[in-house]
Amino acid sequence: MTTDTAEAVADFSTASSQAALATEPPITFPKNSPLQRAWQDIVAGTCNWPLWLMLAYQDIKLRYRRSVLGPFWITLSMAITVYAMGFLYGHLFHIDLPHYYPFLVTGMLSWTLIQTIIIEANDTFEMMSATIKQVKLPYSLHIHRIVARNLIIFFHNILVIIPVMVIYHATMPLNAYTLLVIPGLALIYIAGVIYGLILAMLGARYRDISQMVKSLIQVIFFLTPVMWNPATISGTHNMEMLVYWNPFYSFLQMLRAPLLGQAPTLLNLMIVLGVMLVGAVASLCLLARYRARIIYWL
Amino acid sequence: MAIIALKDVSVQFPVYDSNTRSLKKNFLRLATGGTVSEDNRKHVMVDALKQISFTLQDGDRVGLVGHNGSGKSTLLRLLAEIYEPTNGQLHIDGHITSLLDITHGIESDFTGSENIAMRGAMIGLTRKEIKEKTAEIAEFSGLGDYLALPLRTYSSGMRMRLGFAISTCIKPDILLIDEIFGVGDASFIDKAKQRMVSLLEQSSIVVMASHANALIENFCNKALWLEGGRIKFFGPTQVALERYAEAA
Repeated sequence: MTTDTAEAVADFSTASSQAALATEPPITFPKNSPLQRAWQDIVAGTCNWPLWLMLAYQDIKLRYRRSVLGPFWITLSMAITVYAMGFLYGHLFHIDLPHYYPFLVTGMLSWTLIQTIIIEANDTFEMMSATIKQVKLPYSLHIHRIVARNLIIFFHNILVIIPVMVIYHATMPLNAYTLLVIPGLALIYIAGVIYGLILAMLGARYRDISQMVKSLIQVIFFLTPVMWNPATISGTHNMEMLVYWNPFYSFLQMLRAPLLGQAPTLLNLMIVLGVMLVGAVASLCLLARYRARIIYWL
Repeated sequence: MAIIALKDVSVQFPVYDSNTRSLKKNFLRLATGGTVSEDNRKHVMVDALKQISFTLQDGDRVGLVGHNGSGKSTLLRLLAEIYEPTNGQLHIDGHITSLLDITHGIESDFTGSENIAMRGAMIGLTRKEIKEKTAEIAEFSGLGDYLALPLRTYSSGMRMRLGFAISTCIKPDILLIDEIFGVGDASFIDKAKQRMVSLLEQSSIVVMASHANALIENFCNKALWLEGGRIKFFGPTQVALERYAEAA
């Protein structure tokens, strides 16, 4: 059988390859547009949730391997940070602790989630380059892995608020609004994947972006009312605008408000949805344009 | 039915951490590697593959020959769907197994079984399949209880065994091999050879890169000779190897 095929292609050199190709049964090459392929990448990546969930979980397991407390080090280090900060700033700024503690703890928890997603998303493709160069997987799957990992860490961190909730139950009630945590997390997750994709692509192509983002995020942390109460700047119009139109504040409120037993404002929700819509269009366009190039950037 | 079809496929790499000014002009045509040039934005570009066209169908066993840097590995990565063509069209149908860099992506802090589970999930196995395969991999690799230990305790030979056992545990339609014969010690080489031969026989299409011409003569009915990213010759193994030997 092999000799037959061998004779058929005996004179199959580069020059005659075009002619030989024409005599063979015609091959239909898939004609998917880059946009379709980008969309397929996102759908395939999202649908393979058992894989990214497992990888996210493995990442956490790996980080705390051989330590006695394991992932609960996340909880403990968060607890030490926020309890110490609350005590220090509460006394420094002469704010009454029953109001300040719940505000700071919920703010820090929500901010940490948002911040680490942003920082880690930047290096996603670089970090996963060994896998990307070895196994063909949708690019969006790696982003899901990063965002899911941070969500799991958030669920460890959330234990920190339990003592605060018990001690300051008067200023931090559990009520129907608390349930809004779930849609809040969902919105942050989706936004994390949307913007994670953009940041990961930028970070893979321009290696300065990740350093830039790391220092910028510190500035944004101070500009956003995480540690300080936005009520303290009421009256100064410009500052108020800066706070209420700050998209980070709106995303923060998606989590903090329900945790404090309040509802986020309609403006918060509108800003969040608007930012997500713009991001979704931008990330789809970028992915359509550059998806095939990502591998060559690594 | 498996099929691989390429039409005028080119692969061009940008190299961002190299400055065009640091290139000596006489380097532009090199003995090894693709052509180095610069694009209109002054980025260094490497033409790894240039206008490759061929079609492979069931029963084709193709050996890739050529110098270091002639584009063999790039072509294999392209066929593994890891690289995408920068130009031209590519159509691949069939389940692909690539044995390109078998120990790559192995996590050294994870145990053998965890690595099997992770790699298995990545190549698309279900939980149940992974369980079945784990026993088979343990048996084949001969690692036994070592699978419960983290990979960093393994010798490099043991890593190769594990990587090989995982990579070859599913039967593909298309098999891509990059210089893989000779894994592990003498006793394992025989086992590995047997498995390779059985995989080679069961796959519809095989593409293998090797500098060992004897291997290509034994296993391939066609050979593709690459030079500087272009096809120099594609045809029966004997003819290709003869012409390649004459040129060298």
